[in-house]
Amino acid sequence: MSRGAVCLIVGCVYAALTCGCTGKPAPPAHVAVQQSTRQPVSRSALQPVALPDLSDAATTVAAQLRDQYAALTAKINDPATTGTDLATAYGEMGKLLMAAEYRDAAEPYLLDAQALAPDQPRWPYFLAHLYRLRGETTKSAASFERALEIKPDDGATLVWLGNAFLDLGRPDAAEPLFMKAQSLQPRAAAGVFGLGRTALARRDYRRAVAYFEQTISLEPQASIVHYRLAMAYRGLDRLEDADTQLRQKGDRDVSPADPLLDELAGAVHSEFAYEHLGVEALNRRDFPAAVALFRRGVELAPNDPSMRHRLGMALALSGNGPAAAAEFQEVLRRRPNFASTHYTLGLLIAANGRYGEAIEQFKAAVRSNPSYVEARLQLAETLRRSGRARDSLPHYEQAATLDPRLADAPLGYAMALVSLTRYADARDRLSESLARYAGRPAIAHALIRLLAAAPDNRIRDGSRAVAMAEAQLAQEPPNPDLGEAMAMAMAETGRYDEAVVWQQQAMAIAERAGRVDVSKRMAENLALFQHHQPCRKPWRDDAPVSADGPSF
Amino acid sequence: MMLALVSLAGCRNSRRDTGPPAVSSVSPQHHAQEEWFTDHAADAGLNFAHFNGMSGELYYSEIMAPGVALLDYDNDGDLDVFLVQGQMLGPGKHASQALLPPQGPLPLEGRLYRNDLEVHSDSTRTLRFTDVTEASRIQARDYGMGVATGDFNNDGCTDLFLTNLGPNQLLRNNCDGTFADVSEGLGKAPAASSWSVSAAFLDFDRDGWLDLFVGHYVHYSVDANIRCFLQSGGPNYCPPQVYRAQPSTLYHNNRDGSFTDVTAAAGMATDFGPTLGVSTADFNGDGWIDIYVANDGQPNQLWINQRDATFKNTGLLSGTAIGGEGKAKSSMGVDAGDFDNDGDEDLIVTTLTGQGSDVYVNNGAGVFEEQSARTGIRAPSLPYTGFGVGWLDFDNDGWLDLLTVNGTVSRDPQRPKELFSLQQRKQLFRSLGNARFEDVTGQAGAVFQRSEVGRGAAFGDLDNDGDTDVIVANDAGPVRLLINNLGNHNHWVGLRLASPAARPSIRSGRDLIGARAGIARRDGSTLWRRARSDGSYASANDPRVLVGLGHSAQAPTVKVIWPSGRIEEFANVAIDRYTTLHEGSR
Repeated sequence: MSRGAVCLIVGCVYAALTCGCTGKPAPPAHVAVQQSTRQPVSRSALQPVALPDLSDAATTVAAQLRDQYAALTAKINDPATTGTDLATAYGEMGKLLMAAEYRDAAEPYLLDAQALAPDQPRWPYFLAHLYRLRGETTKSAASFERALEIKPDDGATLVWLGNAFLDLGRPDAAEPLFMKAQSLQPRAAAGVFGLGRTALARRDYRRAVAYFEQTISLEPQASIVHYRLAMAYRGLDRLEDADTQLRQKGDRDVSPADPLLDELAGAVHSEFAYEHLGVEALNRRDFPAAVALFRRGVELAPNDPSMRHRLGMALALSGNGPAAAAEFQEVLRRRPNFASTHYTLGLLIAANGRYGEAIEQFKAAVRSNPSYVEARLQLAETLRRSGRARDSLPHYEQAATLDPRLADAPLGYAMALVSLTRYADARDRLSESLARYAGRPAIAHALIRLLAAAPDNRIRDGSRAVAMAEAQLAQEPPNPDLGEAMAMAMAETGRYDEAVVWQQQAMAIAERAGRVDVSKRMAENLALFQHHQPCRKPWRDDAPVSADGPSF
Repeated sequence: MMLALVSLAGCRNSRRDTGPPAVSSVSPQHHAQEEWFTDHAADAGLNFAHFNGMSGELYYSEIMAPGVALLDYDNDGDLDVFLVQGQMLGPGKHASQALLPPQGPLPLEGRLYRNDLEVHSDSTRTLRFTDVTEASRIQARDYGMGVATGDFNNDGCTDLFLTNLGPNQLLRNNCDGTFADVSEGLGKAPAASSWSVSAAFLDFDRDGWLDLFVGHYVHYSVDANIRCFLQSGGPNYCPPQVYRAQPSTLYHNNRDGSFTDVTAAAGMATDFGPTLGVSTADFNGDGWIDIYVANDGQPNQLWINQRDATFKNTGLLSGTAIGGEGKAKSSMGVDAGDFDNDGDEDLIVTTLTGQGSDVYVNNGAGVFEEQSARTGIRAPSLPYTGFGVGWLDFDNDGWLDLLTVNGTVSRDPQRPKELFSLQQRKQLFRSLGNARFEDVTGQAGAVFQRSEVGRGAAFGDLDNDGDTDVIVANDAGPVRLLINNLGNHNHWVGLRLASPAARPSIRSGRDLIGARAGIARRDGSTLWRRARSDGSYASANDPRVLVGLGHSAQAPTVKVIWPSGRIEEFANVAIDRYTTLHEGSR
């Protein structure tokens, strides 16, 4: 269904619900809430508040809370403080406590702020989130309703209240809220996503599909939508579509633009808060923001290796290699056994082809943390690619034992066996892995290459290689790796002209993908095929493993 | 038609009589004056408190145990109890250095308690447990996590499998009140960082011998404990994401007391997560037992039996992998049961505070819809971190209700001086009979108001009075024995589904867990319940089937689908008592 059609549905349903087209107009969302009088209460009627026990808090957090509390106390004791100012002082204290996870302690502060400034939507809004975080959905919904009563067109509040109603099993109450949010912000995904969830809750799969597709078109990176879209397709018995969506599923959520929640997230000035925010920035690939946040964290906790390591990562990802290296070196100066930094340094060094130094870093990482699978695998890889295939074998095996999900480990092991001219063992390993890691094309590619190009006559089986390559082509889109594997298989069976065509096509795909380096490398085999010679090298000695895609 | 019904009440002395007095049918409202559940652990002799060995280092394992098992180890017709115990954690540390000193019996070890139930002439009962650990020769002195039960050698006596932080233990019941450690039968020793929590016996290849699925959690050792922090900067326990998940293991029974690890051959080696809960049942109605695996922070798996000793994970497409929100949750406990009485196995999965329990409703073909909000479970479960969980018909009205035991996994920054601030209340949800539940925790009794660090829960009729009781294992706290005071006011039918006796000295064969019993009702509908010992969290349940009949005093016809695939029908099964149905006896 086109996006236009989806918009039409949204419009119609919204119109029906708000204009009475169905014969019985839906009540406004806030109808269940008692109308607040919006009269400030007297100060004597406020709830008592206190600082919680801060003995467990980090020094910086405790100091920030005490300062804020002192500011509040000063306002309370100053008869000239206006009600609005006092509300702000209570509310800010409550917000800070809430951000520092002192949620029970935060509640009376926010309630007092709400009582003193009943026209301010921010206090019931924070209260609503506080209740939500405590899992108290009914109270959360009531507070969101109160906030919405004060500010009826707030998109974030509409969406959060809709979410609360869905949690309460009330899709009918949720729908008009999402409708309104969508009409207020047609380019934002949160409202239409809520409508999709509402439709799904009602088992209206056709409409759910339309809404979720629209959500993805509005916010393509919101990978969490794919799972729900899959469930909607499943409801329509469109299982192939469901499967396609499931393969794209991820954790990236759809969230309404929410300045108040952003404010809450940034309220606490501690290394923990900065680390948390920095990681979030990294996840959304906002590397400059991540660098800034981790820098603030390092200022507060200069001896925390994890924080400085993350700063190094953010610097490296933002392209500042020298600064990243400096931070990594500083981590190791302060904490010589910090495994993550050894591993990351190893990766950076290996990328520059300095395998010997990289191996030392990876060794240090696994010495410090023997179950560090990624480091173990990279150690094996780097050993193999630097001509030490025999040394790599036990590390591949340990990596496979530690995490049998890693297809890279058995693949790398087989590649090392080929380097050691143990072709039969390599073939058997790959054949065994093929069933175990169904859906990982690189294992099939490697086996095809081995069957087509093993130097040992007893191993080569051109017909099987061609059959396997044809089967793979039915399962995956054309790509340089599979194309070259097919060309090698064709050459092995004497079909050199076809091999040339396959190789040329593979090179063209690589070039179109901007991989001129890959294309150039493939020219060598092309020349062989053009001269009616088969290939006798399944892959280059320093080819990296990558069980998730083309690699050779 | 020849019926082979062995009435327990008919062949045992009055002390072991399992039939309660006939009573009129009532609803919970009529018993408002009586607590629905009361804790009788202490006065029944279960003076056991779990010790978690915490020393202030916040070791991950100290917040994840213990489980508990209900089993009739001595074949006397009543349920005995095995309680999992912890040890001091940390290199070189002694229990005297623990922040919460040992409260229960010493030495610290998993303990077996024999049920010496007395049924008096007026049908009142006295529950009394005797610690028989020493006499049983059970030596469970590792850091215990959970327990599974099943008769793996088909000798008619229930064996034990203990999951630990470290190597697990397989204990063979010698049928003479003692057990032998036969762990070597499991093959090669696991990695030093091995950690298992829930396990389940199942006959996945229908060869008549129980196989074993062992759920592993994460690679962990206290030496490599990672420190995590709250937003306030206070120390906290880490989430599972900071550790690497361990692959679970499927063992095939070699019929000679040993097992073979067939995880890879079964196609289960490369798809796993940090497993905390396991439930086995025939989820797609093809007559073969499937396996549902609840993982902490990673997608759950639904392993559908391919009938050729392999399994296929249909978790994602079946809708049971990641909850309704589209993100993997922290799944902890799990149970399968037909809560909507439509003849198939639905799932309840407990999760972390703020995530809400998942209710997966089966369409009969192994395709599920997550309906926690629609059923009314989601909102009341959101404040809680659920662990042990079970479908139980606590009021015997014919509809499965729900009980969860809860306790957080995160320190409360607001109570920094409390050594172990993870306590939460238990919850009871009553089925309204329309696929919706009401939260009746407030009416369930004082024991439900008590905040504890609930972990394991095992469900079964400990006093043989015809209703489901619950035993709750608390982390760093005393065990609770929740005796049901309500259920047997309605009629019921109790079934033991068993193989024929292997030898004359044994009353009957093994419990055929996985067997399904269909109780035909007067209105033409059929209630399907299955014999299961697995499910919940790290615990083992009463394998008998207890079916609430509500007002109906009619002796029902029971159809049994045995794990072998055989189907048999038994007419006029006695109500308000337990009856053993033997496979092949019809």
